[in-house]
Amino acid sequence: MLKAHSSVTALLRYTGISIPDKVATCRNITCMQHLFGAVRWRSKFTAAPLLTAQPARALIDEQIAIQGRFLPPHWPVTVRAHMHSEEGDLWEAFSHYKTNENGVVNLTTDHSVGGSYVGCEPMGLFWALQPAPSAREGLRLRKKDVETPYVVQLSLWEGHVSSSKRPIEDEQTAGRLAASTVERWYMTPHTRRVEIRQNGIVGTLFLPSGPGPFPAMVDLWGMGGGLNEYRSALFASKGIASLSLAYFGHKDIPGPLDELNVGDDYFRSAYNLLQDHPEVCGERIGLIGLSYGVYLVLRMATHIGVKPMCVIGINGPLGSYDKFPGIKSGDVVNYQMLDEHGNFSLRHFTMPSMIPKENQIKFEMLECPLLCIVGEDDYNCASMETANEIEEILRAAGKAQLFTRLSYPGAGHLIEPPYSPNARVSLWTVKPKKINAIWGGHPAPHAAAQEDAWKKMLDFIEYNLRK
Amino acid sequence: MSARRAPVPWLSVRPCRALADERWTVFSVERAPPAAELTVHALLRSEDGDDWEACGHYVSDAAGAVDVCEDVCVGGTYSGVEPMGLLWSLRPVPGSRPNLRLRKKDIGTPMVVTISLHQGFHTAGFPERRPLASLAVERWYLAPGVRRVELTEGGVTGTLFLPPGPGPFPAVLDMWGGGGGLVEYRAALVASHGFVTLALDYMAPKRSAGVVSLVGNDYFEAAFSVLQSHPQVSRDRIAILGLSFGASMALGLSVYSPAIKPSCLVCFSGSHVQPAGGSLGDIFAEFRKNSKNTRYDEEQQVIWRDLLLPIPSDPSKKVDVGRLCCPLLLIVGEDDQNWPAEESARDMKEMMDRSGNGHLLSVLSYPLTGHLIDPPYSPHCRASNFMTTESREKFVVLWGGQTPAHCGAQEDSWWKTLDFLKKHLCYGPQSDITSCP
Repeated sequence: MLKAHSSVTALLRYTGISIPDKVATCRNITCMQHLFGAVRWRSKFTAAPLLTAQPARALIDEQIAIQGRFLPPHWPVTVRAHMHSEEGDLWEAFSHYKTNENGVVNLTTDHSVGGSYVGCEPMGLFWALQPAPSAREGLRLRKKDVETPYVVQLSLWEGHVSSSKRPIEDEQTAGRLAASTVERWYMTPHTRRVEIRQNGIVGTLFLPSGPGPFPAMVDLWGMGGGLNEYRSALFASKGIASLSLAYFGHKDIPGPLDELNVGDDYFRSAYNLLQDHPEVCGERIGLIGLSYGVYLVLRMATHIGVKPMCVIGINGPLGSYDKFPGIKSGDVVNYQMLDEHGNFSLRHFTMPSMIPKENQIKFEMLECPLLCIVGEDDYNCASMETANEIEEILRAAGKAQLFTRLSYPGAGHLIEPPYSPNARVSLWTVKPKKINAIWGGHPAPHAAAQEDAWKKMLDFIEYNLRK
Repeated sequence: MSARRAPVPWLSVRPCRALADERWTVFSVERAPPAAELTVHALLRSEDGDDWEACGHYVSDAAGAVDVCEDVCVGGTYSGVEPMGLLWSLRPVPGSRPNLRLRKKDIGTPMVVTISLHQGFHTAGFPERRPLASLAVERWYLAPGVRRVELTEGGVTGTLFLPPGPGPFPAVLDMWGGGGGLVEYRAALVASHGFVTLALDYMAPKRSAGVVSLVGNDYFEAAFSVLQSHPQVSRDRIAILGLSFGASMALGLSVYSPAIKPSCLVCFSGSHVQPAGGSLGDIFAEFRKNSKNTRYDEEQQVIWRDLLLPIPSDPSKKVDVGRLCCPLLLIVGEDDQNWPAEESARDMKEMMDRSGNGHLLSVLSYPLTGHLIDPPYSPHCRASNFMTTESREKFVVLWGGQTPAHCGAQEDSWWKTLDFLKKHLCYGPQSDITSCP
């Protein structure tokens, strides 16, 4: 803002203001700049505060550089992010900074001193989003429609403010200095989304742009059921075809919604569908699973006669804690799967010693590399104990070279694509009464885990599916 | 394990969703055959249903990689190190209707460009070829959060663009030239850089009782007043940005209208030659008077630059720019075949130097550059179909310019225009002390 060699005399001449006596003797530039900055910012010939975010249309896993400029130097400011989920809930985050001597705040390099996160966190405003005080309880932020972006409003405020002090409304402009809008996308243009309802398979196939053929992943989630598409959409945006496969709690799968009604044939069909797809390279297929999905992908890799090139397991058990198929989510009703606080947790039931032997994966049959991702604060699944056991079994079978573990202190169960908020606890069911699931994970370490794990997952997939 | 097929080549372009004036920071090819001749091809289908294409020839390195941002293009529709060449060298595909011009009407949706990679050096036959890889990129004229508001207030018609945030913002009155109706994309793009902009619809003639008339100067005064009184505009920080007729009007109004006092002016491809203190209709009359000076090139394309030549010495026949009170940036294509922009700029400089306000004038003069100086990476249009405003006759008009130089001028003049606007609207009177990042 001010050149270092500017003279005090010149400053006085430019501003045409007289300096109070107590400052007259203080002739160093820093003091003058502080005074000058405050005066200059309020003059009619000065640039108004500006908030920029680049890129303004980004992929979900892309870092966005946020900067506030044309502010007084060494000034407290707040950057706020807010957005509405598809369900209409308001999510927001705040961060408290001080501008530098040039009146600039740069979220890529500066340290937040308060708010939703502290420290140097370029993407903190996104992963630290929390439901607003007025929002419903037990929420988890997940995108259903992956073909449209999250639209996030960013705003720059005077001083250190947050919702807990007073509600911040859009119309309330006092203290609001500047704003910017970003879009965060799960898909690149021309990534294709194809609904799959054939051969009894229920899923969504995402194909990268271009003729292919592409390496591919089968993507499985947990016993929450339904169909989560957002991880597959991101894989396809990076050149990896991906099939999000439903297997439980989906209206298009025959049978009771609260029971797992599909077996080995179902998963074999899904794998074959990918293998036979003209745009998929049939010999370059990998599997990824989260939670119960880990058991399922391991079963696919060892038990049903298909030969994937690699498997990624995130926070899952080494066997099915109940019969497969036939597992029922209604068993939560028995309160056996509630922890001492009344939250749904499978930690106890997924301890390796608790899994019936006949339901355990035969790891000695594993033929391909396995990446085990562990959140050490996982409250829902005994992920660390499971990883230890898997490593032991593979070592005993002379297959230690297949095993890689990523273990993240402070990270919880739901290790998802980066820069998304973690839900430590969220609503699991309302029947017969309201029960929350406890997932674990503390905001900052969980966010760091998501960012690191994502990069390493992509590297693992690239290495094993492209060579 | 049986031998696997080699991994397919992969194209990456980032940002894949960008503003129309943004450069790509990544444009790479990976896993192509090593040391191979390759063609990158761009295809855009315009809103009018025409296909535009461009291509560049590259040689991959030993690892099968190409970096379009750094490597030399050795053939195609552009050459050299030109990361954005695939966009600005777009041209209608063979067999297209002649004399087309690419202009986006709906600025709420992006231009979608399909980029594909092909084995070998090719300049034609792309629809029949199966690419090695392809992707799509979006080019937007509107940043997220910028609002578009159709304006009909105080008799003024146009489109207002408002950046996100409380404001107040500096503002720009944006005036295009003749032919083609209301053009919004430049105003939208300027707004995406933090200005309130008003794309003014002023060329539409009024027809009543068989008489065709154009808007009077009071229309422009009303438009300027609409901007000034907008609650999100800083009323003393308004600029006028004009091209062609818009530039000419901007000059005349800034000098002669007591109600229009912009903080600065940017004039593309315009002239001060017009009846001093006259109206839009008067400028048209001047053109009609001199229509005998119309020339034609070897393809019978119309050259209208002589209609205002020679630059008159009679002061009543040109805007007295010596009376201008605000900074003026003139952008001139030296191959402008439509308006005598270069001669006008020279004359304006003389007038302002003589008057003592020459320090207000900056001129950007670009060799081999034509009349239609668009935002960066827009394809160059050397000649196109044109319909006159009043008589609605159809011509093929020669605008001028050679593509590589013209497109270089578009990029250079755009950033200098934005810097000029920021300097005079945001930072106020310059001193040797303040320098903004």
